[in-house]
Amino acid sequence: MFESIFSSLFKYERLVFEQGQFVLGATRSMWLVAGAAAVAALYVIWSYSQVASLGARDKGVLLATRTALLLVAMFAILRPMLLLKVAVPQQNFVGILLDDSRSMGVADEQGRPRSAFVQEQLGRADAPLLAALTKRFVPRVFRFSSTAERLQSSADLTFQGTATRLGDAIDRARDELGGLPVAGLVVVTDGADNAEATLDETIAGLKAQGLPVFSVGVGKDNLSHDVQVTRVQTPRRVLKGAALVVDVVVAQTGYAGMKVPLVVEDEGRMVSTQEITLPRDGETQTVKVRFKTTDVGPRNFHFRIPVQPNEEVTQNNQRESLIDVFSRKEKILFVEGEPRYEPKFVRMATLKDENLQLVLLQRTAEATSNDADKYYRLGVDGPDELRVGFPTTRAELFGYRGIILGSMEAAAFTPEQQHMLEDFVDVRGGGLLAIGGARAFSEGGWAGTPLSNALPVALDAGRRNPIYPPFELTVRPTRAGQSHPATQIADTEEAALSKWKELPPLSSVNTLPVSALKPGASLLLSGNDPRGGEQVVLAHQRYGSGKTLILGVQDTWLWRMHAKMAVNDLTHYTFWQRLGRWLVDGVPDRVMVTASPERVQRGEPVTLIATVNDEEYRGINDARVLARVTAPSGKVEDVPMEWTVEEDGEFRARFTPAEDGLYSVAVEGRTKAGVDVGRGAVSVKAAPSDAEYFDAAMRAPLLRRIADETGGRFLRAADTQSLVDAIAYSGRGVTVVEEKELWDMPVVLLMLLGLMATEWLYRRSRGLA
Amino acid sequence: MMTRTFWRAAGITILALAAGATALAQRGGFRQPMSYSDNVPYDGRFVFVRMSYPTLGLGGRNSFYPPWSHDYPDGERHFMQILTAVTNLSGHVDGSSIMSFDDPEVFKNPVIYLCEPGYWSISDAQVVALRSYLQKGGFLIVDDFPSVAWSNFEEQMRRVFPQGSWLDMNELPAHPIFHAFYEVDANNIPTYYDLGGKPDFRAMFEDNDPTKRMYVIANYKNDLSEYWEFSETGLKPVDESNEAYKFGVNEFIYGITH
Repeated sequence: MFESIFSSLFKYERLVFEQGQFVLGATRSMWLVAGAAAVAALYVIWSYSQVASLGARDKGVLLATRTALLLVAMFAILRPMLLLKVAVPQQNFVGILLDDSRSMGVADEQGRPRSAFVQEQLGRADAPLLAALTKRFVPRVFRFSSTAERLQSSADLTFQGTATRLGDAIDRARDELGGLPVAGLVVVTDGADNAEATLDETIAGLKAQGLPVFSVGVGKDNLSHDVQVTRVQTPRRVLKGAALVVDVVVAQTGYAGMKVPLVVEDEGRMVSTQEITLPRDGETQTVKVRFKTTDVGPRNFHFRIPVQPNEEVTQNNQRESLIDVFSRKEKILFVEGEPRYEPKFVRMATLKDENLQLVLLQRTAEATSNDADKYYRLGVDGPDELRVGFPTTRAELFGYRGIILGSMEAAAFTPEQQHMLEDFVDVRGGGLLAIGGARAFSEGGWAGTPLSNALPVALDAGRRNPIYPPFELTVRPTRAGQSHPATQIADTEEAALSKWKELPPLSSVNTLPVSALKPGASLLLSGNDPRGGEQVVLAHQRYGSGKTLILGVQDTWLWRMHAKMAVNDLTHYTFWQRLGRWLVDGVPDRVMVTASPERVQRGEPVTLIATVNDEEYRGINDARVLARVTAPSGKVEDVPMEWTVEEDGEFRARFTPAEDGLYSVAVEGRTKAGVDVGRGAVSVKAAPSDAEYFDAAMRAPLLRRIADETGGRFLRAADTQSLVDAIAYSGRGVTVVEEKELWDMPVVLLMLLGLMATEWLYRRSRGLA
Repeated sequence: MMTRTFWRAAGITILALAAGATALAQRGGFRQPMSYSDNVPYDGRFVFVRMSYPTLGLGGRNSFYPPWSHDYPDGERHFMQILTAVTNLSGHVDGSSIMSFDDPEVFKNPVIYLCEPGYWSISDAQVVALRSYLQKGGFLIVDDFPSVAWSNFEEQMRRVFPQGSWLDMNELPAHPIFHAFYEVDANNIPTYYDLGGKPDFRAMFEDNDPTKRMYVIANYKNDLSEYWEFSETGLKPVDESNEAYKFGVNEFIYGITH
């Protein structure tokens, strides 16, 4: 409507004014005429000023209308015009890129799929838009999804592409049209680009070449009814039986406030379901989902919300995540400085967990002038393990994956052993938990030691005496603790909160105020004493490659033994099993391997990165590393891995899945001398991607950005009638300069007549002849 | 009718016992009425806990020398001094506690001590409490144990664990209780008195499985605390007292660590 009114008044479309250069085409004689008109205008002004019978208002109105009339006439006399570079018909090429991906099948245009526009307007030689383009240009039509190629026939458009690589497609078309006179590229798409790379490089290339992109957006900017499981964050590897708390990000439109189930399935078997309330339209919500991993091996977990009535996109209601569930004994060293009950009960709890091995080194007597410290060992693998007490070499200490440091003073360790404790976390990437007691923390002289750097609380060197009688602490989870895997003492958040309220209070002889938490620390459990003070009970932080935790109480065993705890209440066991598992979660082996990406489509390359370390976790650069890739069909391929040079002990290799299914990658590392270092494993799933269905609304901002930055135009599918002219006037390719006269615009005549009529009517109304 | 007869018989028995006790006391053959210090409040450190029980009028904190109190207080005080001296246990040497089996505070002390089990009797509520205590992680040391006391002790324990059985620990010399702190030979632990023959040690385990946690150790036909009580008197050779202390230390360290 606006466009048609505009062109009726101004003779040309708005596009012409935007692209054209305004000039005055008057000849010398015309300038003389204009000068005469100017003199006449001055005379008019002077003559009106001499008429004494007119009032000031009448003089003003008549002067203004007459002067304006003369100026409009002068404008027309000076022959205004627009100069445009117009593409020479049939001398220029136009690249037409058609989105052939799955998302074009989304039926959000009054029940019609987006692909219908492509097929109707561009799918055949006589299709209206393609015909109009062909009339002015030489079209080169491409189809694109994960790859781009010339379209040989409309039958090649299947709209089944499993990814949209917009940048790659534009680059491909630009390359193919290189050296030809190209007026522009037309990209017909919903803009659902899901390439990992940004479009910055592509746009920079287009700008450098001066090639405009005319993007045609297909589909609605916002879906009216859709539920989407946007993202799921799961660990890559977990221990069998792990109780996971996973963040699931949910978005929706059209179902705000509705309660729906969120179901978790392990290879089709439901392992968890919980009811969630959908967020407001356009907002995202992060839901904490709890479930257990029970079966060993690479497991495909699905996180699903059932399809709701009238949903426009149903394929984005679920996400899947590959988790490698493994089973082995994770070895934790518990170093205790005195005979007391806490280690006994921690050991009882972990003995019930088949995947934890707690090795207890409990000092039962301190050194005298004649004897060294006396230790009692439990859970060791053989008579030589810890035979002389705490490990004296890094290789021995780094053989454990977690350390629990009990009530043992710092002075019991040599300076080297204290550095080893810090490096256990920082370099080896282990988990270290320091627990409360008379010889722990500041009271044990740990302030200022290397380990104190790693702990999540700042220790006070001035506090050396344990507090007696101890603080009685009522323990409660913080907000972070309610959803943290280390503090899940029940299977649901509600049950856990209820259980926390039932547990008897504990005690602490250490001063650990919440204010002592370091900036990077996270408080999971806090304790309130009857005097109103608040103490740190459980806190953690990342440190170097590993993590540290503190548990600032001396008697969690009361959660098992206390008179009010029933015999069959195993909360204490659950607490320690989950805390122990989290302590060693993510702790690296000597050989580790990752795959990027872990989910690909057949034919897409996968990069393998392996780290190979010696016993002290220093990278072995001259290791011999081999990746054995086993395809779903059982076909085995050995891929040698090369040192990256960028990082010590880091090796890289690539392979390309040729089959759909699960690929198993086993990496074996050996020293140059052939000594076995260890093995790592990772799984890669090759399958068609469902990324097309996520964030499936038409992305107008992205398409507008491409057009604006390259000098093209963004058009919606309904507005493509101006597409041909937009390309023609873009000034690219083989062009001629075309003059567009403006003196005869209807608006000029209307202004002249309007001004004359205004003067006439004013004179009549004022009685001025 | 039966009730009146019972009370009459009981009254006569009590009077006779009181008279006999008075006579014994006048001859210096009996001890003074016991006085007991207050229990040690829980603070996380180790406390020696002696278990009390009612015994036909001889029980109660204000009665004459009840069987459960034998060797109190010197037995535990001497033992605690030795235990804290030879180990680095943080324990109370300045006091100990006396508790009944239905005292909730017992559960804050996972190692407890019981003596003279021949006189021991417990109520049904105490049976439940002791079963719960042992299953949750508690450990019971039974001492001052003449052979004649076995039948009563076994009967009481059968109420706690009807399926429980007793293993002869002398047959299990490799068990950790003989090696928890000292290397102890079960067959060389002396006896203060002849309490009915060669002493041995009997134990009840979780699920009757000696590879699992020990619930109860019975110093059968032995009286370790007698050594502890009189170790400063020189009535017995030092070596014998040492052996009694050593196995006592092992029993407590085992109970604390297992």
